[in-house]
Amino acid sequence: MTRRRLALVGAVLLVAACVERLAAPGNCPDFCPSGQITVVDTLLTSSIHRDSSYRGYVLAYQSPLMLATHLPGATDTLDGRPVFRINGFGPRFRISVTDTTSGPILGADSARLQVTLVRRDTATHNVRLQLYRLPITIDTGTTFGALVGPFTDSLVRTVNIDTLLAQPGRKDAVTGDSVVVDSINQRLVLSLKLDTAAARYVPTDSGTVAYGIRMAANTPASTAFGKGTLLSLQWYLRVDSVGTSVARTPTVLYAALATFVFAPPAAPIDSTLAVGGVPSAHSLLRVTVPKAIRDSSQIIRATLFLVPAVPARGAPADSFVIEARTIFADFGAKSPINLLLGDTVMIHPGATDTVKLEVTNLLQFWTADSTRPTVLVLRPEREAQFFGEIRFYPSVATAFRPTLQITFVRRFPFGVP
Amino acid sequence: MTHRTRWLIAVLIVGPALTGGAMAAAQDSQFGIRGLGTPGRWESVRSRSTGGAFGPFDPLSPLMEAPLADLGQLTATAAGYTSNRDGIVGGTTTPLRTTRFPLMGVAGPVAPRLALAVGFTTYLDRSWDVILRDSFMLRGVLERYSDAIASDGSVADVRFAAASRLSRRIAIGAGLHLLAGSTRETAERRFDDSTFSRVQQAAEVRYDGFGVSGSVLIGVAPGLTIAGWARSDNRLRAKVADTISAVTDLPRMAGGGILFAPSPNARVAASVAWRSWSRAGAGAFDTWNWSAGMEFGSRRMPIRLGGRGGQMPFGPGTKAPTEVAGSLGTGRAFAQGRAFIDVGLERLERRGGGLTERVWTVLVGLTVRP
Repeated sequence: MTRRRLALVGAVLLVAACVERLAAPGNCPDFCPSGQITVVDTLLTSSIHRDSSYRGYVLAYQSPLMLATHLPGATDTLDGRPVFRINGFGPRFRISVTDTTSGPILGADSARLQVTLVRRDTATHNVRLQLYRLPITIDTGTTFGALVGPFTDSLVRTVNIDTLLAQPGRKDAVTGDSVVVDSINQRLVLSLKLDTAAARYVPTDSGTVAYGIRMAANTPASTAFGKGTLLSLQWYLRVDSVGTSVARTPTVLYAALATFVFAPPAAPIDSTLAVGGVPSAHSLLRVTVPKAIRDSSQIIRATLFLVPAVPARGAPADSFVIEARTIFADFGAKSPINLLLGDTVMIHPGATDTVKLEVTNLLQFWTADSTRPTVLVLRPEREAQFFGEIRFYPSVATAFRPTLQITFVRRFPFGVP
Repeated sequence: MTHRTRWLIAVLIVGPALTGGAMAAAQDSQFGIRGLGTPGRWESVRSRSTGGAFGPFDPLSPLMEAPLADLGQLTATAAGYTSNRDGIVGGTTTPLRTTRFPLMGVAGPVAPRLALAVGFTTYLDRSWDVILRDSFMLRGVLERYSDAIASDGSVADVRFAAASRLSRRIAIGAGLHLLAGSTRETAERRFDDSTFSRVQQAAEVRYDGFGVSGSVLIGVAPGLTIAGWARSDNRLRAKVADTISAVTDLPRMAGGGILFAPSPNARVAASVAWRSWSRAGAGAFDTWNWSAGMEFGSRRMPIRLGGRGGQMPFGPGTKAPTEVAGSLGTGRAFAQGRAFIDVGLERLERRGGGLTERVWTVLVGLTVRP
């Protein structure tokens, strides 16, 4: 009986011990701890140094998009044109799927080219796509200048997107073109019917064809075309089967080369800090964080202030994002970038306002691990997917140099009554 | 079971508790937030049920050592309590609740004229949690934030005591006090503006100190006993990650009491204590505390009543906060007198600096004589 009572008392004590409510509203300063959380805000004007820019990280052919742009400027026009090459089936094609007998390809009745606009400015109207036949010798090194001739005299088709969208069922009964609006992915899938003249299957060239797209509109225009499976060609071939011409529909072909050419080329790197453009440019900023902040404080906000040296370049509708990242080791232009942490800011072409980039994550990362190099890399979030580029004043421009505003909290005076 | 074996078992039971100061905690109070903490009450449930008046005469209360000399056999004791506290400031009442186990100890005779004791009690409770809502200008914008500053833990008084009855009238005792403990402290700030990261800092603060005490019991006449005690603690050293963050002088203390037992079923006692807490620095005050109480009825199931009053050592302003309490309790012997359960109820009110605290405390104590 006694044991039972003792157990009961013990159980009551244990249950009671689990309930705790200590939080009380502070009535300061009389009934608050003497120590307080001390927040300090400081502007580091000379903590960024040895900054530099490099270009060439992602080239046009490495971009996942093909940029088509027509942007008249004050002195020149930014003109971007997708170009692609689709390899053919060769001079012969299998007659039947049941045996390996093949016959020479006589030519093509027609073909259907499918291109996908993955980004477009819906405010731009009367957008016309002009399809040009290009030499099949185009490659990743082909320049805008090398294709001036074909882009002048080899027009094979012109498609007005607005007109096509206005057609019943979004199909043009005359040309055979159609468009599908993918409202989920915000894409337009254009299916262009190419006749024998536009889609020449030349067996001696193994059926390889190359095309280029030039864009025109009432206002400055900028679009981006997809690559990979978003660009395809369906041939409708005629094959010689023991003297008889038979029709064959082979599998869909995708581009062996898909890139874009543009003019004028990106301005060379100078003393400013360039970010973006094609080929993409990065800027490295080496930061010295004061020891007092780095070693014994908690950074709660850090903002990088960058003053544009010139208005941001690019299509007005193509605002682009630049990001700040840190690196694993400082090897200059080839520093391996740490992709785990990053902070971003939107850049609006034409704007000259000071850019404020929150880099709290990165500075907190540095304070957590003092072995990390305190280097910021500024780069476009989507490299070579926009022509947009911004240039900031470097650290040598004393009046407009990059600055860092850090808000930090000093170590709380724990243990002090 | 031999005498030595009983001691060994008792020490094994109590010993683990002595290694962790954070286990011990006592009555917390908002008055202790700005100071060193809330001093513990070095009393068993029996003594506390009499307002603390029986503390100088109770061998199981760690206030004095001399009563240990009259402990006839090995005894282990522990206490726990739950407090429901209302903190009232400016008409706003905040209900708070805590549960603590502030006392554990074992004592017994080791020689015909020598008794030893070891145990711990709460020296300072440092458990509190303060929530603040405020704003300030930051980067040219009024930023609103919420602070939560908390401390969880206490400083324990680990006592090694010895007592001897020199004669039928006089018993003396001395104690060695190791002050040890730790608090887990956190400071957190959340800004309404999420562009500012949450401030979150934490540290474990470890405390140490040392003290000595001595006491005497004098039988003045049959049924009338007086007691006196004194204690001196050196300083409380706070360390954060092996760096000393604060060194605070601790008080010297003295007190006395009188016990009158006109019959075996009636006992009346009173006590007084002085502590020089002002040594701890600004915002600390010397304190006087008094208590009076009685216990009547058989020892198997007595009734206890008491009251106490005095001052709190830490508070705002130039005047020490005051406290007054009334208590009652009883006890019950089990297992042919080898086990006792004591229960008590205390109502306490503290006032000072615009803050009033009203506390109901339920006390439970367990004493075992193996």
